[in-house]
Amino acid sequence: MKLVGRFGTLSLNLYFWLFVAFLFAPLVVLVIFSMNNSMTPTLPLSGFTTKWFHQAFSNGELTGAVVRSAAIALTTAVFATALGIMASIGLMALRGRALTFAIAALLLPLVVPYISLAVGLLILLQTFGAGPSLTAVVLGHAVITLPFAILVLLPRLRSLDPAMNEAALDLGASAFGAFRLITLPLIVPALVSSGIICFVTSFDEFAIASFLAPSGQPTYPIFLYASARTPALLPDVIAIGAIVIAASLLLVVIAEAGRRWAERRLVGAGAAVQSALAEASVPLIAHR
Amino acid sequence: MNKGEVRLVSLTKRFGDFVAVDAIDLEIPPGGFFSLLGPSGCGKTTTLRMIGGFEQPTSGQVLLDGLDMAGTPPSKRPVNTVFQSYALFPHLRVFDNVAFGLRRQRVGRAEIRRRVGEVLELVQLGALARRKPGQLSGGQQQRVALARALVVKPAVLLLDEPLGALDAKLRRELQVELKQLQTQVGITFAYVTHDQEEALTMSDRIAVLNRGRVEQASSPRDLYEEPANAFVADFLGVSNLMEATVLGPSGAGVEVRLGDGVSVEAQRGELSTRGPTKVVIRPERIQVEAAGATGPNRIAGMVTNVVYLGSGLQLTIHLAFGRTVTALVANTDEDTAGAWTPGTPVTCHLPSTALRVLANTEVSAPAPEAGRVGGSEPATHVP
Repeated sequence: MKLVGRFGTLSLNLYFWLFVAFLFAPLVVLVIFSMNNSMTPTLPLSGFTTKWFHQAFSNGELTGAVVRSAAIALTTAVFATALGIMASIGLMALRGRALTFAIAALLLPLVVPYISLAVGLLILLQTFGAGPSLTAVVLGHAVITLPFAILVLLPRLRSLDPAMNEAALDLGASAFGAFRLITLPLIVPALVSSGIICFVTSFDEFAIASFLAPSGQPTYPIFLYASARTPALLPDVIAIGAIVIAASLLLVVIAEAGRRWAERRLVGAGAAVQSALAEASVPLIAHR
Repeated sequence: MNKGEVRLVSLTKRFGDFVAVDAIDLEIPPGGFFSLLGPSGCGKTTTLRMIGGFEQPTSGQVLLDGLDMAGTPPSKRPVNTVFQSYALFPHLRVFDNVAFGLRRQRVGRAEIRRRVGEVLELVQLGALARRKPGQLSGGQQQRVALARALVVKPAVLLLDEPLGALDAKLRRELQVELKQLQTQVGITFAYVTHDQEEALTMSDRIAVLNRGRVEQASSPRDLYEEPANAFVADFLGVSNLMEATVLGPSGAGVEVRLGDGVSVEAQRGELSTRGPTKVVIRPERIQVEAAGATGPNRIAGMVTNVVYLGSGLQLTIHLAFGRTVTALVANTDEDTAGAWTPGTPVTCHLPSTALRVLANTEVSAPAPEAGRVGGSEPATHVP
């Protein structure tokens, strides 16, 4: 059904491509200048070089920060997804006001400014005699990514026929057995999507990390911010940035391919169409 | 040894203020095909789920071969369920679906293969063991669900409207197959349906439920020929339910006045009833005669509609005293189809041996035990 006329379609197309350009131009520029033979990212270009990549990889602090962020993000992804699954199962048993209240509470971190959360978490830690640590960062990131995990996992759980779980119990499985053998394999695509979105959110996160990470152990975003004051580091930073972009693209492509393969194996699951729409959007959101 | 007898004692289920199942007393005899029949919302599925262990009763008991099932989870009960949606595991092959229960019981690999093979042969799906449920038709999926439940040898098999999603022809085929299967296997089948024809053709015994209560529990023949009340009469087939007043004894039965002044004799049903009540007569018992025919229990009328059923004619006849009845005339020869057309005046003969008086529910009658085995006691409720 035609909702807009010919002029409308033209404007819409124009707007779309301008939007895409605005979104991706910074990334393209970054990749270009990562191979530019100059200390400063200015035009005109000074020739092709790969030396910044060599330099960046020999910068222990920089690579350390990236690896640290990746480790934190991975732990957060696993932890938040596990919590998300448990929360979703719990939410399935609720109705009416109890359900509304529980969901509101669990999704609260989405609307709380991360800075406030970070300060609160730091104070909470210090009340228990603990201080900044990488574990604290993981905990903080788990809090902010749990809502995303729930938003991905709960709909998928709801799309499953509840009779399947009952059938498993009927045939002699324990509650955990039914979950492990029937529910879990059927939500694998949602688990992957949840993992990706939690990973990416944690990797990029600055506010909570800056409050909760120990001073000698910066995460990648913290390192980037600090290195803004050191012009000499700029080419290294740009080079690593290009690598992170390439790695994210690769991650998203692999994860999406994996998700579709898992989806295909579940022939007749019935939820394939709905979840494809929900889960396809996750990698798109995640790849910023 | 598990005979497969189920007894429900004063079984009640409440959801908040809503009473889904209202103090049901029922006996399901072992080894037979038992149906729970009733309209949507009558509590039949809730009752079945309580037998299976998926709902906990608010009060009352579920007894399996004499053992109280309270507190026993579904995984430990000697019953298995075939769900309305089949609930097959989509990520497992047919073989693995069927083997699921056996694997939970830690049965050996070789024996699993043997038993799964046997049960798949039983439901005629031997060649499809390696397929996934998504690659099967509705009828095939239903058979897998059946095989999966039967292979673990339950004492009672619970079936929750398993044929609902299938087209009419397939449904009729599977009705016959299910009945044969039950006879072959000998396990008690407890079957939930809203389709009265299905229940009548398949069951050894039927319990008719309405609004959480058992209206009548008996054999298909008794329910059809001797319905205890208007609900049962009307739910099973066409009943030609009519308002009537019982005047007193007459001949071998009672004299009944239909509408305004037409008096007929009725010899069936609750003949002790007096006063305003209802009568029923089955369409195939009404004898349609030429206009002007004389004799007892004859009422003049006019054909208003004719439906050609192939095997017979369904006539809608408007009777002199204002009521409309449906009559079924067999297609005995080629001329039958043309014998009656809309507008034809006829005489309806309502044989007194086919006219049934229903109990007057306004009168406080003592409430006999509902659903007693061997009888067709009506479940009259003391208001």
